[in-house]
Amino acid sequence: MIKTLPNKTVVIVGGGLTAGLAARQLTSKGVEVLVLERGVDHTKGAEAKLPTQRDELRWDTHQGLMQDWSVETYTLRHARSETALPVRWMEAFLPGEGLGGAANHWNGLTWRWSNYDPQLRTRNEQRYGKAAIPKEMPLQDWGTSYAEMRPYHELFEKLFGLSGKAGNVRGTILAGGNPFEGPRDGEYPQRPLEYTEAGLTFKAAAESLGYKPFPSPAANSSGAYTNLDGQKLGACQYCGHCERFICEAQAKATPQVLLYPMLKQRKNFEVRLNCHVVGLTYDRVGKRVTGVRYVDRLTGQEYEQPADVVMLGAFTMSNTRLLLTNKIGKPYDPVSQTGVVGKNFCYQLGGGVTLFMKDKWFNPFLAAGSTQTAIDEFNNDNFDHTGLGFLGGAGIFAAMYHGRPIGGRRLPPGTPRWGSAWKKANADWYAHSMNVGMQGSCYPHVENYLDLDPTYTDAYGLPLIRMNFDWRDNELKISRYIAVKQAEIAKAINADIATPASTLQTPFDARNYQTSHITGGTIMGADPKTSVVSPHLQHWDAHNLFVVGASVYAHNSGYNPTGPLAALALRAGDDMASYVERPRML
Amino acid sequence: MRADSMRMEFKIALAGIVGAIAVAFAARGATTADAVAGRAVFEQCAACHSIDGNTGVGPTLRGVVGRKAGTVPGFRYSRAMKSATLAWDEKTLDGYLADPQKVVPGNLMPFSGLPDEKQRADLIGYLATLQ
Repeated sequence: MIKTLPNKTVVIVGGGLTAGLAARQLTSKGVEVLVLERGVDHTKGAEAKLPTQRDELRWDTHQGLMQDWSVETYTLRHARSETALPVRWMEAFLPGEGLGGAANHWNGLTWRWSNYDPQLRTRNEQRYGKAAIPKEMPLQDWGTSYAEMRPYHELFEKLFGLSGKAGNVRGTILAGGNPFEGPRDGEYPQRPLEYTEAGLTFKAAAESLGYKPFPSPAANSSGAYTNLDGQKLGACQYCGHCERFICEAQAKATPQVLLYPMLKQRKNFEVRLNCHVVGLTYDRVGKRVTGVRYVDRLTGQEYEQPADVVMLGAFTMSNTRLLLTNKIGKPYDPVSQTGVVGKNFCYQLGGGVTLFMKDKWFNPFLAAGSTQTAIDEFNNDNFDHTGLGFLGGAGIFAAMYHGRPIGGRRLPPGTPRWGSAWKKANADWYAHSMNVGMQGSCYPHVENYLDLDPTYTDAYGLPLIRMNFDWRDNELKISRYIAVKQAEIAKAINADIATPASTLQTPFDARNYQTSHITGGTIMGADPKTSVVSPHLQHWDAHNLFVVGASVYAHNSGYNPTGPLAALALRAGDDMASYVERPRML
Repeated sequence: MRADSMRMEFKIALAGIVGAIAVAFAARGATTADAVAGRAVFEQCAACHSIDGNTGVGPTLRGVVGRKAGTVPGFRYSRAMKSATLAWDEKTLDGYLADPQKVVPGNLMPFSGLPDEKQRADLIGYLATLQ
């Protein structure tokens, strides 16, 4: 028997970063908010305390903070001719579980994307002509702009106390920062993190080639910081247990440090833990969602939670799945290339060169999640693509973010996989190796999409999301182009041993960690025929339903995805407050 | 076990004497505690330590001066801090804040220390006001 609960004004599915940011805006305007989170509160657990916080086997290797793959996973096929099979253990991307979501275990790299990213189709058409965009690449503008998002970027960066060096303040390019970043109002809220030895080595080589290296913007706090809401961050201790861990020093900006403790003090805010959302109640005629159905994981009781407004703030896959299983919006069909839900599913590409230098002490254990020194000369459309045969690009960087005993081992090619020689190589090179990496843009392809698997279901009996995904010609060309640039930088570093620059290989392999960032499925846009949600993230077919997160990105950039989705979540909070006051299509 | 703890106490007593001498020397210089400046230094502690009696990520620092180490009710201390036979006063706090792992090896505070003597003195001056 489903129990029906008293109505709430705004109900948010998923207690992660977007929910916390939207709830901040809503509750400060007096709007009642209920957040439903499937997991627990991690703040008092072994994962948030020394010495157990440092348990690499438990939190990293065994994914102690991630989604339980035995309860819910995704299926994968590389082409429609194949039968998809469930991924039983995922490494390619890491959805979080518990209050704070994946922002508990993130690394903290926080970019504003290129200021042309929201108008990527227009930008490429204007620069290279309409014919330059292949037919099978459905690049789309987002229906918004950097200028519209900019005040929310400013707000988010102040709330999360970002550490960085500005490269563009109101159009003036500043030395030491990223000259390709969109114009900012001023410096970052905090000074940049310390450079690592790997970062300094990369910086010198990049400068010798005429590039402009800069410290990547970081949500790891370079000092003690108090934000606009009076919430506090401690100073980063460079312990190397950031990504895949909860920071016990309160030095990584997360919703569990900066948002939820504050929100819980507000009378109009409630969070319910262990509540797994299984469905939305959709009034097709009235074009409204009337409530959310969830299962209390502790009792097994199912509830119907009526709501005036519903926001989907779950993981990319879950946002898409809730629309598909509840038949809200038209599913994307790759044959006719019509429909929208599941469209423009993108990942990102990685690859790199590993360098070994006998006389340099890189000490990889001294690191924060975002101790990364980067160049942006070859990212996205920061360079002329005429005659190159591809669009997009990649950031290139030295990212030294941990030297943990299980995962932090770089060994020269040809080292035996076990035995005395393996041990000796570990001892010889642990402190003396670094990597030149990359993170590349992934543009949509008509055959890369999400739909419901016809065979496999999760522990709740709901169909799994099926990933239809493979690397396409565009990504393979980016990879080869960037590998050449990485090899040039590696040569300038002049290491004792340098591996060849690795390039992307097909098929896509979900067993390897690459960049963790998937996007799309519920994309935003100005045209209801080609997008799921409006530029205000309002569902075209259910005007009181808002979808927030990387699932609204119409393509994936060569940057980590958190910045724009955080800005959009803050804006969606304001938009929902306006909608509550006067329900309408915004 | 017993011999160990006695040795520990002896070491701590010795550290206390050394600390007292250091403070005596410092007092002869210009280092006097400035509680107002200390409040600014405290910003580095505030993400984890409250001053209002509430337990956070770290124990509250209200009443820390004069308290026996590892004794705030309800806070889960490390074995190292629980068995440290220390009372927090100007001297012991100064030593601990200079190098937390040296004074209480194995304690779980994720903070590497305040190298600046004046900052430590100011901070302790501020902590003394939190009664």
